[in-house]
Amino acid sequence: MGLAKYVVRRIIYMIPLVIGISIVSFFVMYAAGDPIQIATMGNPSITEAQRQFLRNYYGLNDPIPVQYLRWLDHFIHGDFGMSLYGGKPVNQIIGSLFWETSKLQLFSIILAFIIAIPAGVYSAVKQRSVTDYSVTSVSIFGISMPVFWFGIVLILIFSYHLGLLPSAGAHGAPSLWPVFGIRDPFLDELAHLILPATVLIFAGLAWHVRLLRAGMLEVLRQDYIMAARASGISERKILYKYALKNAITPLITLLGLEIGLMIGGAPVTEFVFSWPGLGRAYVTAVSKLDFPLIMGITMIITIMVLIANLITDLAYAWIDPKVRLE
Amino acid sequence: MNILEVEKLKTYFFTEAGVVKALDDISFSIPKGSTLGLVGESGSGKTVTAQSVLRIVPKPGKIVGGSIFFEGEDLLPKKEGEMRKFRGKKISLIFQDPTSSLNPLFTIGEQLGDIVVQHMKLKKSEAKEWVIKTLKLAKLPDPENAIHSYPHQFSGGMKQRICIARALLLSPKLLFADEPTTNLDVTIQAQIIALLKDLQRDLGMTLVMITHDMGIVADMCKWVVVLYAGNVMEIGPIDKIFEEPHPYTEALLKAIPRLDQTKELVFIPGNIPNLIDPPSGCKFHPRCQYAKEICKEKIPSLEDIGDGHFVSCHRWKELNNRG
Amino acid sequence: MADTSKNKESGFSMKRGVSQWAVTWRRFKKHKSGMFGLGMIIALLVIAALHNYIAPYPPRPLPGSFTPLYEGEAGMPPSLKHPFGTTVMGTDVFSEVIHASVYTVYVTFLATVITMLLTIVVGLTAGYLGRHVDEVLMRITEVFLVFPSTLLILVFARIYQLKVSEPFWYIGGISIPVGLTIIIFIVSIFSWAGNARIVRGEVLRLKETEYIQASKSLGASSRWIMLRHILPNVLPQVIVLATLTMASAVLVEAWVSFLGFGDPNTITWGRLLQESFNDLSTTWWAEIFPGLVLFLTVLAFNLVGDGLSDAINPRLRE
Repeated sequence: MGLAKYVVRRIIYMIPLVIGISIVSFFVMYAAGDPIQIATMGNPSITEAQRQFLRNYYGLNDPIPVQYLRWLDHFIHGDFGMSLYGGKPVNQIIGSLFWETSKLQLFSIILAFIIAIPAGVYSAVKQRSVTDYSVTSVSIFGISMPVFWFGIVLILIFSYHLGLLPSAGAHGAPSLWPVFGIRDPFLDELAHLILPATVLIFAGLAWHVRLLRAGMLEVLRQDYIMAARASGISERKILYKYALKNAITPLITLLGLEIGLMIGGAPVTEFVFSWPGLGRAYVTAVSKLDFPLIMGITMIITIMVLIANLITDLAYAWIDPKVRLE
Repeated sequence: MNILEVEKLKTYFFTEAGVVKALDDISFSIPKGSTLGLVGESGSGKTVTAQSVLRIVPKPGKIVGGSIFFEGEDLLPKKEGEMRKFRGKKISLIFQDPTSSLNPLFTIGEQLGDIVVQHMKLKKSEAKEWVIKTLKLAKLPDPENAIHSYPHQFSGGMKQRICIARALLLSPKLLFADEPTTNLDVTIQAQIIALLKDLQRDLGMTLVMITHDMGIVADMCKWVVVLYAGNVMEIGPIDKIFEEPHPYTEALLKAIPRLDQTKELVFIPGNIPNLIDPPSGCKFHPRCQYAKEICKEKIPSLEDIGDGHFVSCHRWKELNNRG
Repeated sequence: MADTSKNKESGFSMKRGVSQWAVTWRRFKKHKSGMFGLGMIIALLVIAALHNYIAPYPPRPLPGSFTPLYEGEAGMPPSLKHPFGTTVMGTDVFSEVIHASVYTVYVTFLATVITMLLTIVVGLTAGYLGRHVDEVLMRITEVFLVFPSTLLILVFARIYQLKVSEPFWYIGGISIPVGLTIIIFIVSIFSWAGNARIVRGEVLRLKETEYIQASKSLGASSRWIMLRHILPNVLPQVIVLATLTMASAVLVEAWVSFLGFGDPNTITWGRLLQESFNDLSTTWWAEIFPGLVLFLTVLAFNLVGDGLSDAINPRLRE
């Protein structure tokens, strides 16, 4: 029955949330001041008449609520307006950035998850062993490590010192393609991906491992695990089938939030590695106060986070028979 | 013939606060085909005994000494892989709380089927038939549908029937039932007890009833082992134990629960002693109404007083006029 | 089993009396990494208090000034004279890190106080009053949780920096950086939601315990129960959350500054990292050392948080 219905209902439920977030972001920004004034501050040759022309062009003379409604109308029709710089439509700018950000984020999230499972399980099973202590200490290091600083350290070592990996961008020009002597665009992309992905994986992994370890420790002391053991079920099956499914549910719930955190954390990583994604564009847009672009990226990321949450909830319902999709 | 012989078994828990001697040198044996009651308050070591026999003592617990002979074979030196062939197949355990002992995220068919597959190397479809057959044995209604259901879809009594079926899947020779009725409604309790009695008789298993309820013991068991604070206090046939009990057993007998009471007993004055730093001499002496100076100073030994009756008490003979 | 009786004793205490805290402290003392973290935090406090005596060079005369401070010594690698080296601008990295520790302490303290106040108020009222209050508060919390807060923090920080007219407030001879204070408020406003949810859960659990039910049936007022019974019992949890909040506050301020949206009038660790980022290939020490100190500080708070939560819930360690 209800899966399609549930998804539709959840999407409907997201609408007020999306609108609420857009209202807050919009009013906070536009109430702050005149973007044209700020944008042209550094340009002494511009005249007041030209400014006025620009204001009219961007509709900035209307009251803020009117501006917001116009923005909302365009947003509903999938149009984020024009960037204040370069005269390009926001949609066009976001399009390519979106792909680069998704590539980096998805790659890292999936890899972090895959690595976290054996690490968390093993660390919980061998509680207080050398491996456990190293896994837990590495994970607390990962949680405490400022992401951007870790990126800087990696760049210093692998790019500047060893000269192995590129420190910036997502692609090299064809002339720069040779990676370990092989000329290949795919290898080139991969080489660009390694450092920023390592930073993201390390940060995500730390949280996942901690959560999974705690979950496993809790689950392993449950009666049903002892019952499986008392029935002669093999240890591997107990761990990876019976215990893991129970221990992973809180992880999945948190994964939704974490995906949000990771996507939200994109600005820093992308800034450090000059990654041509939404995050770096966001930082630039904020420093230039390019309001339409800021709004566009904010909304795209909000929607990505909400969809991630929805997928998480679906996964949760799929795992736990007691959860009904309501 | 004894199916199980436990000798000088020691199981300790190495906690941060210190070493908890959950089983401190216990010995007893179980005649084949009989029903034995393993009796004591909570914390006396009943559950740990069953866990030790199956070698599934949870961390930080460890069996530190003694031997456990099952059909003449010592289980303790066995490798983990060999031991696994005994668990669920020759020796089974029914847990106290059916709700927590069933995995909430897997169907009944999946959980029980895996056990059959593990031991019998059957195909999934054959295992399914096997599970349905065993569920019928445990008198679970509509087993064909039950195997596709999750634990939370059953009542407590039904869940316990499922757990009983799980323990019986491979017709074990020895079955431990760890307070199987404690968490159930009073009316359901009687049904489960009756079921266990029938199954024990029909399948010819050896049944160990772990309980603090002397009423159940009187109803079901031929033999009784009384544990207190990790020590065996008394072993004997049921009639002897009711006739001339150890002072601790006597206290337990006085505390046969009323119908409305499903929780632990609180009638014996005082608490189970701290097992990290247990009392000197006889561990029961601080709560014993007959305790004298010697009970504080000397650890009593388990003495054979005839008719298969063993008692660990300095004053038993005197109290029962056996000079 | 053997330790159930012990759990019953400790789990059922009415209030965490003095002895309970003493027990927690004793357990914490055994936690080596927790004690190590505590030691580092104390060191940070001492450094911040004595920064003018410890730092070999004075802070920059004008926070915004970019004039080389120690002429002829720009871009020097670490040496005895400049343990962390000097920047391209000719500032002594070691001294600047030491001076900036004051702001780290300020950020940690203020952000945690604000965040935890919001956490306690929302968590307690939602959990205890329940019904419609809970419904409304939890909806708001949810919105804050899905908010792309990291993004909005940047916009807020950027926009409100434009509004700052005076760089410092002078209160009783102490200068308080306005821009930094604004950032602290922004960060705090986006940090309480997750915490509040945890506290609410804890309150819901406590509400069902027998002694709360008992004092309710004896006619105790809601406020009395909340302040006398619930608050002391959620306090351990709140303290753990507070330590973790300290760690994240330091981190968030650092990356806001690193991205260039910090207080332009205040030299914080994040600001130091931002200033030298473009000279990474030459003066790497100007990035490595401030970052290392930042990392160690966050680590210290996280270690203490871990140690405390282990000391409060020993069950998780066993």
